[in-house]
Amino acid sequence: MSESLQVDNLQVSTIAREKVEDLCRLNGEPNWLKEKRLSAWESYLQCPMPTVKDEDWRATLVGKLDLGKLCPAAPLKEGKTASTPDLLKAALKDLAKPGAVYVEDYARGQMSVSVEAELSTAKVVVSPFAQAVESHKDVLEKLFAEKRGIQDKFTLMNEALAGGGLFVHVPKNTRVEAPVVMMLNLPENSTAATKDPSGLAVFPRIIINVEENASINFVSIVASEKTAEATETVLAASVVEFHIAAGAKVSVAEVTNLGPEVFFVNRVRAYVARDAVIDFTTAGLGGKQTKSDIETILMDRGAHAAVKGVVFGGGAERYAYNTIAEHAAPDTTSNINFRVALKDKSASIYQGIVKVDKVAQRTDAYQSNKNLLLGKEAKADSIPKLEILADDVKCSHGATVSPVDKEQLFYLTCRGLTAPEAEELIVTGFFQQVLDTIPIQGVVNFLAALTSDKLHKS
Amino acid sequence: MTAQKPILEIVDLHVNVEDKEILKGVNLTIKAGEIHAIMGRNGSGKSTLSYTVMGHPRYKVTSGKMLYKGEEISQMSPDERAKLGIALAFQYPVAIPGVSVSNFLRKTTNACRGREIPVKEFRQELKALMAKLGVKDEFLSRYVNDGFSGGEKKRLEILQLSLLKPSLAVLDETDSGLDIDALKTVSEGVNAMVSPETAILLITHYQRMLDYVQPDFVHVFQDGKIITSGGKELALELESRGYEWVKDTTVNQTVSV
Repeated sequence: MSESLQVDNLQVSTIAREKVEDLCRLNGEPNWLKEKRLSAWESYLQCPMPTVKDEDWRATLVGKLDLGKLCPAAPLKEGKTASTPDLLKAALKDLAKPGAVYVEDYARGQMSVSVEAELSTAKVVVSPFAQAVESHKDVLEKLFAEKRGIQDKFTLMNEALAGGGLFVHVPKNTRVEAPVVMMLNLPENSTAATKDPSGLAVFPRIIINVEENASINFVSIVASEKTAEATETVLAASVVEFHIAAGAKVSVAEVTNLGPEVFFVNRVRAYVARDAVIDFTTAGLGGKQTKSDIETILMDRGAHAAVKGVVFGGGAERYAYNTIAEHAAPDTTSNINFRVALKDKSASIYQGIVKVDKVAQRTDAYQSNKNLLLGKEAKADSIPKLEILADDVKCSHGATVSPVDKEQLFYLTCRGLTAPEAEELIVTGFFQQVLDTIPIQGVVNFLAALTSDKLHKS
Repeated sequence: MTAQKPILEIVDLHVNVEDKEILKGVNLTIKAGEIHAIMGRNGSGKSTLSYTVMGHPRYKVTSGKMLYKGEEISQMSPDERAKLGIALAFQYPVAIPGVSVSNFLRKTTNACRGREIPVKEFRQELKALMAKLGVKDEFLSRYVNDGFSGGEKKRLEILQLSLLKPSLAVLDETDSGLDIDALKTVSEGVNAMVSPETAILLITHYQRMLDYVQPDFVHVFQDGKIITSGGKELALELESRGYEWVKDTTVNQTVSV
């Protein structure tokens, strides 16, 4: 990396108006987007930094994140080197032939996008966000206008400073089986950028727009690679939006496999229309602090959300997942299944809210969170919540936090497996139950291999 | 048969569960080629004996001997015992959700045999056993014991034991929860395990399984020990006269001595 990764002197903690304007100019963005950025910037200034006293942030180490040291990444140049990040290689080996691959590689300072002819012919758009702003301004402007959902300091930070990211558009009645794969590769430390302060922040914005009766499979991989010896903070704060029109279906598998110095703050929003479906699985497999909010907003009758999580902590990693299942219309269904296993001193908090609006009669919602404690010092919290305003609903939830079941261990050791081998098989099965429900071909093997690697990593 | 060497020798075995004595001096010798049945009421300590032979961590041997082929096994872990050739068919096998039966069977068979069996060879062996035990192919892709009926669980236990080929098979109430057809198939599976080198210890409430698997010896368990032993006719006697009758005879015996 010869050039600086960062925008000059633009510290995240003290964003000046001119700097946001600079960013717009640098990206050659239209006025409407600039207005959005500036309005987000104003809200950002008003919005206090969350602290552990905030319900949603009670287990997140925001205090350890020194915003004064972070500078947002400059736009990446398009290019292709011989080396592909290892994790992407592994993913592409397991996945059925992908329809498109988009790589945003901050460790190598470049981005690339490749789209198969099959998708182009079907008029499916897979485009870096910056390019889509020009080519698909009508769609994007409309999507931005109808936005709703929870805003917080990091979401606003993303909206003001967004760089990179992806836009996917699937036209009516187009069903795409071959997955669109996105990889965000971060440096595990950013000493390559010589200027002080030397932390790196990236703010990807991913928008996936699926029209009536269309379908798409999306695989997102967020990883990091060591680039130098010294350690400096790296932050990725992403916003991922799915706009799913009537009768459409979106299946998503998202993996975060970050190094021990990387902060990841993620907000997923899915707007699900009549008879539309989102099937979303997230796998949290590494990072200093992962904070992810997954909102599914069921906007019309027959909408369904399946939100699944596989979280495997080790070392001193911390995870905080919030799921928000909002039922904003009658006859909507949601099913949430979050599994967390924790080794060593790792910690996790899961907070799940099922919100049922007054109009959302005959909602059917289920929420389950199971936690397996493998390390004596590991800690898991589970806080399921129901906020129900309608009176004709079926909502239930369950949560457990426990060590590995002794009777299961005995049973397996009676069959010749050593205690560690038995525990390994139990943990594998614990995750497999979720992985087996992922509808995207090949993802199961990819994720099973990753969890198995983590199991063996001491 | 008398010339055969003992597979299991239990001498004055005392076992505690959480500081409560459950086994109170069990004596039992099982030789190669023999089938022994232990009968007794609920709570008499039958299952404790089977768990103790297998090495369940909750069951603490406080005194006595437990020898397998002449070697003391009390201090061994369950997997060490399994690798030596001891296997237990559980009364209540636990579910291992997320682990497929095929994956589980391969892993455990490899572990017990101490070598990686080639996939093809393993599949052939497995398919042959499944056919014998009336186990359908779809069974293999299901999660171990997850949502299984009572009969399916017992079939899987016997399928496992048939694969592991133990020298000592302990069957803990394998007959409970089985209908007559399933009982017949499962019993055939048990009979197929019998050889001059193997020993079988059958623990049961009822005589009915013994119609299919004929024991050489029947022992009656009560209050943590064997109170009387006999041939297979003892089981029939118990079936018609009940456990009270055994209690009475022992009392009479004690008096007459």
